[in-house]
Amino acid sequence: MSIVANRDTRVVIQGGPAGVNAARRMAEFCHLVKAPLTVQAFVFPPDAGKINEVPYGSEIVSIPVYKTVAEAVAQHPEINTSLVYVGPDRALGATREALNTGSIRLVSMITEGVPEKDTKLLTRIAREKGKIFNGPSAIGIISAGECRLGVIGGAFDNLILSKLYRPGSFGVITKSGGLSNEIIWICSQFADGVTTAIGIGGDAYPGSDYVTYLEMFEKDPKTHAVVIVGEMGGDLEERAAEWYGAKKRRIKLMAVISGFCQEVLPKGMKFGHAGAKEGMKGEGSARHKADRLREAGAIVPATFGGLGPAIKEFYQELIAKGLVKEAAAVAPEVLPRLPKTIEESRKSGEVLVEPLVKTTISDDRGEEPLYYGYAASELINRGYQIPHVIGLLWNKKLMTQQEAEIIKRIIMLSADHGPAVSGALATIIASCAGISMAQSIAAGMIMIGPRFGGAVTDAGKWFKYAVENKFSVDDFLNYMKANVGPVPGIGHRVKSVKNPDKRVKELVGYVKSLNIHTPHLDFALEVEKVTTAKKDTLILNVDGTIAAVLVDLGFPVESLNGFFILARTIGLIGHWIDQKQQSSRLIRLFDYLINYAAPKKKDVPPLK
Amino acid sequence: MAKVLEGPGMGLLKKWGINVPGYVVVTSAEQFNPLVSAHAWLKESRLVVKAHEAVGSRMKLGLVKVDLDLAAAQRAVKEMLGKTLDGGMTISQVIVSEMIPHKEEYYISVKSTREGAELMLASVGGIEIESNWDKVKKISVQVAEVPSKDELTDLVKRAGFGRDLVTRVAEFAAKLHQCFEQEDAQYLEINPLVSRSGDGELVALDAVTLLDADARFRHPDWDFSFAAEFGRPYSENERAVMEVDSKIKGSVKFIEIPNGDTALLPAGGGASVFYTDAVVALGGKPANYAEYSGDPPDWAVEVLTEKVCSLPNIKRIIVGGAIANFTNVKKTFAGIIAGFRKAKVAGKMNGVEIWVRRGGPYEKEGLAAMKTLESEGFLIHVFDRNTPLTDIVDMSLKKEAAPSRGKAGTAKTKSGRAGEARR
Repeated sequence: MSIVANRDTRVVIQGGPAGVNAARRMAEFCHLVKAPLTVQAFVFPPDAGKINEVPYGSEIVSIPVYKTVAEAVAQHPEINTSLVYVGPDRALGATREALNTGSIRLVSMITEGVPEKDTKLLTRIAREKGKIFNGPSAIGIISAGECRLGVIGGAFDNLILSKLYRPGSFGVITKSGGLSNEIIWICSQFADGVTTAIGIGGDAYPGSDYVTYLEMFEKDPKTHAVVIVGEMGGDLEERAAEWYGAKKRRIKLMAVISGFCQEVLPKGMKFGHAGAKEGMKGEGSARHKADRLREAGAIVPATFGGLGPAIKEFYQELIAKGLVKEAAAVAPEVLPRLPKTIEESRKSGEVLVEPLVKTTISDDRGEEPLYYGYAASELINRGYQIPHVIGLLWNKKLMTQQEAEIIKRIIMLSADHGPAVSGALATIIASCAGISMAQSIAAGMIMIGPRFGGAVTDAGKWFKYAVENKFSVDDFLNYMKANVGPVPGIGHRVKSVKNPDKRVKELVGYVKSLNIHTPHLDFALEVEKVTTAKKDTLILNVDGTIAAVLVDLGFPVESLNGFFILARTIGLIGHWIDQKQQSSRLIRLFDYLINYAAPKKKDVPPLK
Repeated sequence: MAKVLEGPGMGLLKKWGINVPGYVVVTSAEQFNPLVSAHAWLKESRLVVKAHEAVGSRMKLGLVKVDLDLAAAQRAVKEMLGKTLDGGMTISQVIVSEMIPHKEEYYISVKSTREGAELMLASVGGIEIESNWDKVKKISVQVAEVPSKDELTDLVKRAGFGRDLVTRVAEFAAKLHQCFEQEDAQYLEINPLVSRSGDGELVALDAVTLLDADARFRHPDWDFSFAAEFGRPYSENERAVMEVDSKIKGSVKFIEIPNGDTALLPAGGGASVFYTDAVVALGGKPANYAEYSGDPPDWAVEVLTEKVCSLPNIKRIIVGGAIANFTNVKKTFAGIIAGFRKAKVAGKMNGVEIWVRRGGPYEKEGLAAMKTLESEGFLIHVFDRNTPLTDIVDMSLKKEAAPSRGKAGTAKTKSGRAGEARR
């Protein structure tokens, strides 16, 4: 048995992220005690119409967010409880809304720093309507084995350690949120645990006080004793003592009181809770409270440390009298566990996950990216350059300085070729149409293919094939003619032997000056000699040159087009920025640039 | 409850139509002189000069001078400003107010109660009230209600006011209650309340004003800061922590207590007081009160830790705490650890023993991180939930007293040890 919260409790949470967090904690408890989810709805106007996701066991449950409590209750008529998680400036309105909703019987508020006047007003409304208003600053309410309202009880492991999965024999009422868990823990270690534990909050005049709940515990046959944690300030403990001493009570009252230090500390000092302050004339002191409680017959140990043994003693009396049976130990393995995340399960070696993606080039899980195992910052500090990074990520090799210089020159030579080529033109048209950078660059990229910039890979592929198979130039040209067609990398629309491509000359001259082994470039130049003899424009073009050099450097055939794409991206970005800065107008072709070869206007015949 | 100094307190009464004497608050003698031309009463009336600071027993300390003419008031202002008191506090503000000629003194106050407010009234006042408490008559007023005219008239009559004053006092009481309600006050006391000779107007000569600091959000005209309530202003470190507290989710609190030997750095508004009690009960001297709760960010806990470590002449620091609901132990402890490390570099941790006990989310990770401080040369003892809440205070204080020092000094696996002893 329990008080206030039980298996029939259904909840709306008024509030944002803190409320969602509470709902998650509550769902963990529901999972532990195999109860349906208590939280049915949220009320949070900024998120109205959305849903909040709450893990429940291994499922994710979607809980709707409403604008008002009335809407939430209309959709979920089983709601009988509200938890208030809004800020202090909105706490009055939110709580009043909940208290004014017919089906809601209990409102518990966690908000701290609520003006005292607001609390008094809410207390009055609750009293007039015969409802319970718990808080402000109240951590929540938990009935062992039945229901958890708020984050009281702490982390999942603590729920189990404190045996909150099944009822014990002790009730708990505390002002302090942190100590509620401590007392629940003590009850579970020195006795059989709690029935219901309630945080009432540390304000001077909370909506509900010890007496509110002592009355209920008195009527709950499963509760044999109630532990209250009091502190100096206010008169709530005195009122509890008065209630307890007024007539013979079934339950045993036990209490610990804090604030004796006030006797030696500066008067007027403010402690953690709003209500924790002695009155101006010493009323509400810890000693006064402890004395009143003892006089009323309550057990009040001299120190906090004395509480555990006192609970144990009383529990053993209960057993001796046959009032309770010693709780059988529950083996932890029979309790539901909180499902582990994939990460946790992998850590403990319980699951094997077949990876979706395999990478062999980089790793960003550490402090900084590793490029094929080399830390980016170390590469920088040791003088490596962008070409080396390209070499690592495209070819898994750390290049020499000489090789890197060649790559650098290739990129510099290919970075741009003016606005007239198809790639740049596409980017410019897109830019002038107001398209953003990434899409405009992509428009230019789309143009890269067999007729523009995309011959590098094919050229490299066939030069490599020829060298590998030790073809002679004639054999190669015959093979290509018979099986492939024009040789990729050979031929240019405007350049010729008489009008050579300066970029090619430059690159070939540099590479040849290095005295390195370049079988593919040599072969390509031999091919050029034969083809140009046939036709002046069948020169080794820039794609073919780059391809031969890159294959000589050991780059895989698959990577070769990448050099052009990478290099030309520099140019395309430049064109996009250029048009943007000029605020260029939309480009539309003039009629005179179009040959309208379509049929002239005809009559449309009737539809048959 | 938050105390408001006399000047702003008088301002609030005036706002709700209550007569108060003329007053000016000044921070320098130079500032005072030009005010004379603007306020005729400064020349025409007898004057009172008081230190406008949160200090108790002002009369005894010579910080109240009465029945002065302007020249004497000017001298008193000069004399009082900049004066340094025994505790090291300097008077930076004085209030000069008008003396109101009167024959009789009365008492009226409104105090917050569970149901609303209690209005208290007596036809005696001033220092007489203490010995005449039985003459104070009361009525209760429910929250969100106003006392009726009949109720007030009856109260005034019961308090023994003469027939000529009944209406005026009843109206005054209504205004005071209105001020109490509208200003989110928790205590308003006017003592003495006087009837001005001549026109018979009721004037509030002196007022105690305690407001609900939590209601500040709906009072944009509260342009004053609250005064410390323990007879001294807040220290620089206390203000620094209050500043952090006002910015964060959760809270950090810090109050210094002079001549202490035991610093406190506990978690939780409730547990922190039990820790302080335990220190006092065992004869230790707390060097401070502190508390962090509501899962504050680690940097805020770090600031608090630095302030705690800066307390002079401390021998031990109690890093206590109950089993947290949602405060992340690992994260908040990371803040404490960072604070400890800084303090150590600054040479503040020499010979200071640290005692830790805590539970809650990520307790294992948090406690393990704390334990690593051992290898960094900290004198630290770490306990988990199996050691009862305040046992670390017992151990730390008893250890100091015991002759066999050092035995318990090496914190190995202390988890469970005290737990076993208990069974």
